[in-house]
Amino acid sequence: MIRVDNVSKTVRSGSEELTILKGISMEIKAGQSVAIVGASGSGKSTLLGLLAGLDSPSSGYIHLQGEDVTAMTEDERAALRARAVGFVFQSFQLLPTLTALENVMLPLELSSAKGARERALELLEQVGLSARAGHYPRQLSGGEQQRVALARAFVVEPDILFADEPTGNLDAVNGGHIEELLFAMNQQRGTTLVLVTHEPHLAELCERRFEMRDGQLAEQH
Amino acid sequence: MLQLRRLLREIRGGELLLLAVSLVLAVASVAGIAGFAERLKLAMGERSLYFLAADQVLVSPSPLPPEWLEKAENSGISVAKTVSFRTMVYGSAADPADEKMLLVALRAVSDRYPLLGTVQFSDTVYGNAQESAGGPPRGEIWLDSRAFAMLGIAPGAEVEVGEARLLASRVLVDEPDRSSSINVYGPRALMHSGDVASTGVVQPGSVVDYRYLFAGDTAQLDSFAGWLEPKMLPSHRWRTLTDNQPALAQSLDRAESYMLLAACLAVALASAAIALSAHRYGQQNIDRVALMKSLGASRRYILSFYARQGAVLLGLAVLMGGLIAEALQGLLFQSIAQLLNVEVPAGSWRPLLTGAITAGVCLLCFAAPPLWRLSRVSPMRVLRRDQEQDNAGLAMPLLLGGGAMFGLMLWFSNSVALSVAVMLSSVVLLLLAAALVLLCIRGARSLSTRMAGSRQRLAISNIYRRRYGNAFQLGSIALALMSLLSVFLLREMLLKDWQSQLAEGTPNYFLINIAESELAELDGFFSENGVAHAGIFPMVRGRLSHIDGVPMADTDIDANTAGLNREVNLSWSAELPSDNRLLAGKWWSNTAHTSTDSDRLPVSVESEVAERMGAELGTRLQFNIGGQTLDAEVTSIRGLDWQSMRPNFYFLFPANSLGRYASSYITSFYLPAEQRPLLVEVMSAHPTITLIEVDAILAQMKEVVSQLSAAISLIVLLLLVCALLVCVSNVQLSLDTRRQEYALLRTLGAGNRFLRATLFLEFAFLGGLAGLVAAVGANLCLVALQIWALDMAPRVHLWSFLFTPLASAVLVTVLAAGYGRRLLRTPAVALLRGR
Repeated sequence: MIRVDNVSKTVRSGSEELTILKGISMEIKAGQSVAIVGASGSGKSTLLGLLAGLDSPSSGYIHLQGEDVTAMTEDERAALRARAVGFVFQSFQLLPTLTALENVMLPLELSSAKGARERALELLEQVGLSARAGHYPRQLSGGEQQRVALARAFVVEPDILFADEPTGNLDAVNGGHIEELLFAMNQQRGTTLVLVTHEPHLAELCERRFEMRDGQLAEQH
Repeated sequence: MLQLRRLLREIRGGELLLLAVSLVLAVASVAGIAGFAERLKLAMGERSLYFLAADQVLVSPSPLPPEWLEKAENSGISVAKTVSFRTMVYGSAADPADEKMLLVALRAVSDRYPLLGTVQFSDTVYGNAQESAGGPPRGEIWLDSRAFAMLGIAPGAEVEVGEARLLASRVLVDEPDRSSSINVYGPRALMHSGDVASTGVVQPGSVVDYRYLFAGDTAQLDSFAGWLEPKMLPSHRWRTLTDNQPALAQSLDRAESYMLLAACLAVALASAAIALSAHRYGQQNIDRVALMKSLGASRRYILSFYARQGAVLLGLAVLMGGLIAEALQGLLFQSIAQLLNVEVPAGSWRPLLTGAITAGVCLLCFAAPPLWRLSRVSPMRVLRRDQEQDNAGLAMPLLLGGGAMFGLMLWFSNSVALSVAVMLSSVVLLLLAAALVLLCIRGARSLSTRMAGSRQRLAISNIYRRRYGNAFQLGSIALALMSLLSVFLLREMLLKDWQSQLAEGTPNYFLINIAESELAELDGFFSENGVAHAGIFPMVRGRLSHIDGVPMADTDIDANTAGLNREVNLSWSAELPSDNRLLAGKWWSNTAHTSTDSDRLPVSVESEVAERMGAELGTRLQFNIGGQTLDAEVTSIRGLDWQSMRPNFYFLFPANSLGRYASSYITSFYLPAEQRPLLVEVMSAHPTITLIEVDAILAQMKEVVSQLSAAISLIVLLLLVCALLVCVSNVQLSLDTRRQEYALLRTLGAGNRFLRATLFLEFAFLGGLAGLVAAVGANLCLVALQIWALDMAPRVHLWSFLFTPLASAVLVTVLAAGYGRRLLRTPAVALLRGR
């Protein structure tokens, strides 16, 4: 499903070169849930971005569903994401000018799928927000916003779901709800889940755990 | 659908509001002003038909075959006839010894005359005019005031014309096509054409001018003209329209140039507002694009998404702008309704199309670059906010947009000079603003290090840190204010200029053909009655025959358009007339010249006629004066104001130099309405003097001034809105850049009062500086326009150097206070989170 071969990422900061990821390799099988933990600045988010094809590595290869992401153009990677990838972000990332329903419909519209409205409503129902479909993000609480984001992530029935600190901006109660929903929906659909988190108990819920330290990745057993 | 909804929400929510309003304004100002100009031209064309009294006029030395007229009437065309000739009119008096006779220019008109316009008459000699839809009925004759005065009769008396006795029932004041009739200045009379036969004065061989007036719709007239064309004799000719109202035409011309200038400025300002608001919209959309990309949107999708957004926005703007343009035109026409005095013709789609294309080009050139950059945003921003973005600044859209703006101005002003003037002054102003700002900021910073207040230090250091961005923003605010100020000052100037021509006491009567022997008596009459006159000038009639030794006929000068195809008035004067300006060469000293003391006399030529005949200093001219030749050399070129209602001359010679030629004198004077009976006295005493009344023209010019000033005020208002928009976009954009910084300062313990004071100081400083630059720019721009475009004496408005910086500082600070309120109220944590 996901294969990473000796991936490095270097960025230029002023006149200095900064190596964020150093020769990372890993393999994730279809349907697995994987947590990546590590301190701030250890390179977790950079790795997540590379895995999802949001950015390209300085060296090495990444294969997603058997396709070499590193050889693709930006638009090809976008097409792959539209087809097979879902996202959940720490800061929810809902479009403020769209209603909850329209936010969920957005990825379906991006891939010109039919029946977007019905499917979006169905997903909102699943996260328990069908009554608030016409509300704008600013009218929703943080927990509700993240539930909308979950509905948006699952509406395209992605093969892989990437989650970046999905409970990081929520209190314990709301965070707990989101965790439950995330794992329930994931299991229901058999989606591969790649999760970046600070929170040990969230990582515990995943089948496999990796730790990032100084740009290097090690699996915890 | 989702896209339209989102667009509308973004307009409502304010993100796209400024962009939308800027686009609407661009469409509205261009379509409104271009539409107004177009329809004004049509209306003026229609109005000038009144001066023909018909749509078309055929002139012939003999009556037309009746079947031609039948053909016209059968085609649904209205036909009227006038027959003009000179004849003697005999006044009837109780004592035949008192009976006087007078040579008049008589027009006999048919029933339907005039087909367009009205005949003006009065019931008393030199009385107030009334309108009549037609001419006199059979058996009556209308004589003008002078004819009544010279015949020594009053309305109601009988006169003899040839063998007919006619009732002189009314006083003829004006006919619509008077200027096209023979002998404009002699005494005139109007009678019915049915009475011509009974007078017996029209005999074979008489010099008679037959005019046939036609009115109908264009298709009918065209088809009739086509039918007539092969049948017409060489002596038949269609009378073409010659504008006989230079004063009105010049005022309208100026008003039109003014409006086109205003439209150019409105486009420039709207473009600036579009560029700024699109830039801001681009900034606001960076995170959204990153998100859409992370959800799988391709770059192409993003581009097409925003392109569609732009297209829908443009569509809405054209719709709204079109409606506003229509309303604007309505208001403009309403303000000059009485001036035009005709039904305003409907406009075409062209102005709206012009507006739409303008807005489209503005959108493409000013809004496309930030959106293009937007499509390059990295999707990694969804995970890492610090992801660097491709931010090329405003240089590209400025270059692209500057070129587009110039093209647009050229397109609809059709004037290279105007477009270059506006464009160059904008560029110079922007550079000037940038240089001045950088200089001031540097100076202020070195001062601020010695200042005690941390607010001032912070404000100045903020300005310093963003000095390049500030320079641009300040430049655009200055540009907006400069445009507004120029248009405002120009309006004041035009009005003053117009009003000075119409000052109380502007001459309203001309006397020509004054004999030398009458001078003393006439002068006595003027001083006795306390009538101020513009000076009595001598006048010799002569024809220009050669230029630099080449006969006029062999030059490539079109004598018709140059106004040199007939005898011109030559005069002489020791001094340069007070309302003339010397543009080139030298005025002669007071030494006497006569035409015999040298081969060539110096001559001073009016600038426009000099240009038309290609004469410069040193050009040799030869005149033919009653068979004698006069050689002259151009020694000076004069500018003069034809609207001053004072006697003015194309050619002026040194004092007394034309003494050997037969001369007459000319003067103009002002006579208030209540003193009009004096005219009867003076005209009876001097029957050979010709009196020309310009009262009607003056009254019309007063009307023109008051109505045009109303129209122009509307345009200033439009510009004001455009300028405000630029200021608002600027303030919003610069507040955006302050968000993070304010959050940080707040977190570090800065109170609201501190932040507000910093904000106010910063914007007041920027506003004041922008105002100063605007005042400099506007005055420079005006002086240039006055010299090159408007042909006026240049003048600098000193008050604007104090007023503009103050007003601008207040305006910008108030805007910043208004828009900054939310920023100041937002808790630091929300600002830090970027919410």
